[in-house]
Amino acid sequence: MNAPILHAVAIEKVFAGRRGGAAVQALKGVSAVLHAGETLGLVGESGSGKTTLARILIGIEQPTAGEVRFRGRPVRSRAEWRAVRREVQYVFQDPFTALCPTMPIGAALAEPLAIHRLCPPAERPGQVERMLGLVGLDPGMARRLPSQLSGGQRQRVNLARALMLEPKVLICDEIVSGLDVSVQAQVLALLVELQRKLGLSLIFISHDLRVIRYMSDRVQVMLLGETVEEGSAAEVFDAPRHSYTRALLAAIPDRNRAPA
Amino acid sequence: MSGPLVRAEGLTVAFPGRDGPRPAVDGVSLVLERGQSLVIAGESGSGKSLLCRTLLGIQPETAAVSGRLEWKGRSLIGLTEAEWRPLRGGSIAMVFQDPTAALNPLLTVGRQIMDAVRAHRRCSGAEARARAIEVLGLAGLPEPERRLASYPFELSGGMRQRVAIALALSAGPELIIADEATTNLDVSIQAQIVNLLIRLRRELGLALIFVTHDLDLAAEVGGELMVIYAGQPVETGEVRQVLADPCHPYTRGLLRSAPTLRSTRAEPLRPIPGQAPRLGTVGAGAPFRDRCSVVVEGLCALRRPGWTEAGPGHRVACHRFARDGRAGLP
Repeated sequence: MNAPILHAVAIEKVFAGRRGGAAVQALKGVSAVLHAGETLGLVGESGSGKTTLARILIGIEQPTAGEVRFRGRPVRSRAEWRAVRREVQYVFQDPFTALCPTMPIGAALAEPLAIHRLCPPAERPGQVERMLGLVGLDPGMARRLPSQLSGGQRQRVNLARALMLEPKVLICDEIVSGLDVSVQAQVLALLVELQRKLGLSLIFISHDLRVIRYMSDRVQVMLLGETVEEGSAAEVFDAPRHSYTRALLAAIPDRNRAPA
Repeated sequence: MSGPLVRAEGLTVAFPGRDGPRPAVDGVSLVLERGQSLVIAGESGSGKSLLCRTLLGIQPETAAVSGRLEWKGRSLIGLTEAEWRPLRGGSIAMVFQDPTAALNPLLTVGRQIMDAVRAHRRCSGAEARARAIEVLGLAGLPEPERRLASYPFELSGGMRQRVAIALALSAGPELIIADEATTNLDVSIQAQIVNLLIRLRRELGLALIFVTHDLDLAAEVGGELMVIYAGQPVETGEVRQVLADPCHPYTRGLLRSAPTLRSTRAEPLRPIPGQAPRLGTVGAGAPFRDRCSVVVEGLCALRRPGWTEAGPGHRVACHRFARDGRAGLP
């Protein structure tokens, strides 16, 4: 099998205590492997370390120990990280705080191109329009402000912005958690379609096991900074081995379960 | 005493708009008997929170309330603040989505609950303290006596929501309204809080209005279900019966958009196209018509559908269902 596209190796992360408080060990030797073209689902409750792991994977947080490898090569220097950040993009949970409120959507989408000096300024509006089309938004959206968009539209804009640099890996951190069910389904369907069209590899983080099951090829269950179970989605969901996974599954509301 | 706790008929809550009033809650009728539970399910903008606030008289001041709304046979419309005061908390209490915002960060848990107790009943500090310990225990907080001295920031999100529930219980209400009270909690905590509310309903004989956007959660809570879209109820009935045999195109669309623990990409979710209409723009006609795949030409655009019986206690407001029954559903 090929080297994984993104690989976190034995990551440890300790946050120093604030105001003399005790230090917090957020990650205790966690590894994660993402192969090209697949979706890895990261599940866990608050404090499990899933977001810290994701932040380390794009280099906005430094691990205390362990390393991140991209296409089999360790990423260490600033230059190496800069190169990786073009290929690995992060989509945040709250599409509203992730967008500048006074910047029109078109400018927000063109910004990554400018930062990475990718295409001549004259060609940027065309790129923006193409990307808006790809995520199912009208080209006229480019002139709007974030406040004029619905939650679902904002999350589409967020996805579009992450895709502007044509990344290979997308890390989606709770991106549908704040959305209504019918809109959530639209965004999930879009993500599946984009993954197929663009050959993306996805790390999909959610506390909702129903969404994880739907999206993931493989699943990694985290608890208090450790991985307690990993395997194919079918294995983890149909034959969970760890008691914590079983407890999580039992806590998910299910219309088909017999009433208590 | 006989008669239901809450009765609403044609309850409408409208905001002023340029072209006349814009109803955000539009002709809601409901009956809630003591000790029963009602789940109101809808998406953002459906008016479910505004409906709850109206039951408590805390809707925005610009909102005009019309129709009938009664508590034990007495009208709640046009009450003065002094008339609302004993009802709010004393008879009807609410648990909000965000317990951090619902609790005062500067006061201890004990102080907040004792204040609430004494707002409704003349009693000594010792009696108020005893009641605070009692309700914290009912809400499932371990070592309730020690919790009195805790500040909200010292508690986890789940514990804070338990404190908010204790606060709601403090003056001995007969109805608790939980508005998305478990939405931001971790799944295992969510399950605990839902079980707590179900247990309180059974053990204390409280009536419960549970507001959620999650139909699976609605099934866990049980009781009556009202599916609401753009301020209008579109389907009502016993929760599990409705979910087993959904008869409104919107309810069916919601169920097909929501993944279950068995959903995989082999059977793609089918999202409802488009988005919910903006506040008060539905006008006459069926509220769901712009996103519906089985619109009845010349009818859905013009006339609001009435109720059609779909089974015992199961009613649907849909022109297509009224005309073609289950055969016409998408």
